[in-house]
Amino acid sequence: MSDSPKPRGRFDRLMSAWVRSLDRTPFLVALIMLAAIVVARSRFQSGVFSLEELNLATASALTLMLAAAGQTIVLIRGGIDLSIGGVISLGTVLAATTFGDDPLQVAGWSLVILAIGFAIGALNGVLITVLRLQPFLVTLAGWSILTGIALTILPTDGGSVPSWWTGFGYSIFLGLSGPVWVLMALILFWYWFRATRLGIVIQATGSSERSAVLSGVSILRANIATYGLSGLFAAAAALYLTTQTGTGSPLIGRDYILPSVAAAVVGGVSLFGGRGHLVGTIIGAFILTIIGDLVFALRVSSYWQPVMAGLILLGAVLASSLAEKSAKGQDR
Amino acid sequence: MRAFLARNRLIVLAYVGMLVLLMVTTFFSPGFLSESNLRSSLVLAAFIGIVALGQTFVIIGGGIDLSVPWVLNCAAILMAIFCGGQDLPLLWVGPLILAAGALIGLVNGVGVALFGVPAIIMTLATNVILQGLIVIYTGGLPTPPAPEMIRYLSVGRIGPVPVIGILWAVLALVASLLLSKTAFGRYVYAVGSSATVAAFSGVPAARTTIVTYMLSGTTAALAGMLLTGYSGQAYLGMGEPYLFTSIAAVAIGGASILGGSGHYLGTIAGALVLTVLAGLLPALGLSTGALMVVYGVVILVTVTIGSDAFAGLLRFAMPARPDREKRP
Amino acid sequence: MELLSAGGLSKRFGGIVALNEASFSATAGEVHALLGENGAGKSTFIQILAGVLRADQGRILLDGADYAPRDPDAAARRGIVTVFQELSSIPDLSVEGNIWFRREPRTVLRTVSWREVRRRTEALFDRYRFPAIHPGQDLRRLGLAERQIVEIAKALAQEPRILVLDEATSALAARETEWLLDLTRRLAGEGRLVVFISHRMGEVRAVADRLTIFRGGRTVAAHVAGNVTDDEIVTEMIGRRLERLYPQRVAHATDRIAVEARGLSSGPRLPGVTFDMKEGEVLGVGGLQGHGQRELFQALFGVSRSQGEMRLWGRPAAISSPRDALVGRDGIALVPEDRRGQGLLLSKSVRENLTLAVIRRMSRRGVLLRDAEAALVKEMVDFLHIKVSTPEQQADTLSGGNQQKVIFGKMLLTEARVLLLYDPTRGVDVGTKSEIFQLMRDLAAKGYAILFYSSDLQELVNVADRVMVLREGRVAAMLEGEDLSEGAILRAALFDEAA
Repeated sequence: MSDSPKPRGRFDRLMSAWVRSLDRTPFLVALIMLAAIVVARSRFQSGVFSLEELNLATASALTLMLAAAGQTIVLIRGGIDLSIGGVISLGTVLAATTFGDDPLQVAGWSLVILAIGFAIGALNGVLITVLRLQPFLVTLAGWSILTGIALTILPTDGGSVPSWWTGFGYSIFLGLSGPVWVLMALILFWYWFRATRLGIVIQATGSSERSAVLSGVSILRANIATYGLSGLFAAAAALYLTTQTGTGSPLIGRDYILPSVAAAVVGGVSLFGGRGHLVGTIIGAFILTIIGDLVFALRVSSYWQPVMAGLILLGAVLASSLAEKSAKGQDR
Repeated sequence: MRAFLARNRLIVLAYVGMLVLLMVTTFFSPGFLSESNLRSSLVLAAFIGIVALGQTFVIIGGGIDLSVPWVLNCAAILMAIFCGGQDLPLLWVGPLILAAGALIGLVNGVGVALFGVPAIIMTLATNVILQGLIVIYTGGLPTPPAPEMIRYLSVGRIGPVPVIGILWAVLALVASLLLSKTAFGRYVYAVGSSATVAAFSGVPAARTTIVTYMLSGTTAALAGMLLTGYSGQAYLGMGEPYLFTSIAAVAIGGASILGGSGHYLGTIAGALVLTVLAGLLPALGLSTGALMVVYGVVILVTVTIGSDAFAGLLRFAMPARPDREKRP
Repeated sequence: MELLSAGGLSKRFGGIVALNEASFSATAGEVHALLGENGAGKSTFIQILAGVLRADQGRILLDGADYAPRDPDAAARRGIVTVFQELSSIPDLSVEGNIWFRREPRTVLRTVSWREVRRRTEALFDRYRFPAIHPGQDLRRLGLAERQIVEIAKALAQEPRILVLDEATSALAARETEWLLDLTRRLAGEGRLVVFISHRMGEVRAVADRLTIFRGGRTVAAHVAGNVTDDEIVTEMIGRRLERLYPQRVAHATDRIAVEARGLSSGPRLPGVTFDMKEGEVLGVGGLQGHGQRELFQALFGVSRSQGEMRLWGRPAAISSPRDALVGRDGIALVPEDRRGQGLLLSKSVRENLTLAVIRRMSRRGVLLRDAEAALVKEMVDFLHIKVSTPEQQADTLSGGNQQKVIFGKMLLTEARVLLLYDPTRGVDVGTKSEIFQLMRDLAAKGYAILFYSSDLQELVNVADRVMVLREGRVAAMLEGEDLSEGAILRAALFDEAA
């Protein structure tokens, strides 16, 4: 950019400071965006900063957060999981058809559904590794198959869950709603998980699979863990979703596939693997959810929501990809 | 000929699979081979095939186009609105809409090739943005019916052959020649194999990538207009099924989702397989759910057959080929 | 008493015999060089040692006990650690994260204790006098040489009794190489065994106590280093007597200036170089690694943006992309550093690779002329002696040397008469090396102007007409004739007054 490289231009200095802060806090862009949206909203509405608002926003964003949590781990691994759409659909259908009213039965089936989610994910991991297939196509096929099964069990929305189950979103404990507690547990899990050897192995495998193999990593085990966790989180998302909708919906999972990727990417997770932070994804999911509230506050057509979501997605990706480009230009 | 078969093993397999399916279908539902049924299947396959044409170029070039559904949908709705049910405006609306599709592709391509945005994200973003904009534009109101001329293109026929079948054949010929016989085709494969190597070899990598997305935008827009003719009107959500089917057709046709390999001849087989399956299952008394399961299984099976692991298995079963040079 | 001995080792891949009853034996406290051309079976042998592959036949004894590791972990548990030529570094982990990967010390919560990791890293760096690298830095921000050093640290962190170094110096510059050679001597002094693989005779001579030579999957000789001459070693490696590795150097440079660079700069690593390249000349580029050589090549080829004045064959040239560079007879062609990542479409055929840069010329109104293409491909395959069964053979099934020839062929087809060769012999066997040098001299005789970077000083001294030494991105010296020697290059690269 500048003619003489020694006294570097202000733009270059700013850019490299930006790259360094992105290296330290990969979800910086998302954080700034979230702040901007919240502040923008607070100019049109009051009570934006209340605890109640946090409870509400979390309640509506939690399904996406759970789905995107699994997706985040898969993306960090360098893969992608489209089958979570099928797992979510199947999960809600199974819940709505098996739960009954007995709390014990509900608990039992919840565990079964979580286990099924994990097993489906693990199977994805096995197929991808053993047959050396592309995650995109394997999980696309998985989405189709699982949705097909869900449709066979329940051709249209239906079934039911107990009424106390659907009250979960509004339950308050120590001033915070159930979903907020789940969210905090999720964040705690992440900080623990990313520091474990498994977490590091998954990140390393996403960063360079070949190097990981040369370092003795078992790709099969890493993939089973990665996709298994993704399936598990998708099943958890399905269970939570039924507390919101109260029914089984054989096609609903589709609405979470690409948004889960979008939430992660807005949160600074790299689609090329190796880099990402669940807190970023959670912020991303918040952004994509409350953008609707902002649109509502602005009193324009609600269909501006997808438009804004798309622009935010592009903005977030551009901010990091341009930074990465300039970092390469400087360091190499 | 043998060399062609060896190199295009997957494409040949796709056609063999399609023929087997056709026979199975005829066995369970003898009426399937009737002229009218074949014709309607061909029409349905043509829509998938046309959308998947651009998708094939994008995927061979190492990308993916998720913006297909709403490019298609926007094209359909805008065409219906601008034409207002009349034939005459189509003469300028048609080209304009194709150009608009190419323009969306240009945006996608520039984002991917010049700004380094991952293809999934770039095209996903344009998809949702288009979705929002078109709904805002129409306000959810129904559109005028499709002009007669476009109806003729999608449901009319010349003798026993549907017009759209002829159109598809022409497009298929052009696409295949582009891939096999031109420098541009060579560039697409090169960029899909490795954009860096291509650029280091003087290939206009960015421009090539951008052109593949423009092709995809154009064919999606074309399919949108034709589909409006087929269903008589444009409606919101009409493009949704074509995201899955266009990618599935390319994958079943033997292309690698990572880019660098595949051919439109394979995609044609993929489109036919998907259509025949959709006809087979109702004949067996199975539901949509079963169809989706079968779709998924077919994709899994084809990509498995195309995988390195499977090729390794074959090599294990058969004696080693002598022409493999020793590796260090 | 032998620490490590192997006998009757065989390994086949399909119909190809990679190892054929090879043997090997080495004692503790020595540096043992393993020599052989590419394809001689060295890689297969050390992969068996490392637990990456398993031998079909034969046995290995470690300390007199059977040794047949199932995986690299098992090998490490028995005390054998290998630094592979292909780096196993993970870009998104830090330096210390890489060094202790999968062996990180943990807290009670099963999480990694980064404080302990840091402590151990610093202790390790101290103990082996590692060049200064910050342990917390992400690896993707480091250069190839630093990654190589991290790789060595990773191996040493496992406290190996036997350390296998596979071409570990190929990415290192002179000073770092010096450090590594010194390190291997010290490790041997501590009573460990270092198995050292390198294509550079000078290094082997500097450190090896004994050497074993492989050819065609067999062990052809084992020597005490002092008892054998270079010529004998080379003869044993290639099986026939190679007349000369380096061709006769006849000066062909004319007065015509091919490339005229005035204050060419690109980024902080290349603040500005000024030089001329003549028609018919091989101009070497030397200096310590990271002193602007890569940036110079990238700037000339239009890969990275540059400022300053450049003229090609007397005409001002503005090159902002490889496309610009490759145009016409006045163009510039590059044989890039990274064969697999920048040079070859690995999944495509030799034919498609060869004609990729000129495919537009091979077509009329956009339609390919397949016959013309085939003829051109055949011509180039014959001219360069590329060993293929058919031009349709996939590029990644070729050996390293043949892959490099395909890249040369692709660039020669462009008709550009300025060639940039960035370390073209890296990881290439002796036979092909010699062919490449001969080719360079032949091309120079035909009027090409060749810019030649090599990390091996010996090659620069023996092949180039002149050598331009870069220091901190500026021309520190231009050496030719009597002044051109390895010592002179090193002095110019290191010290200020040499210019």
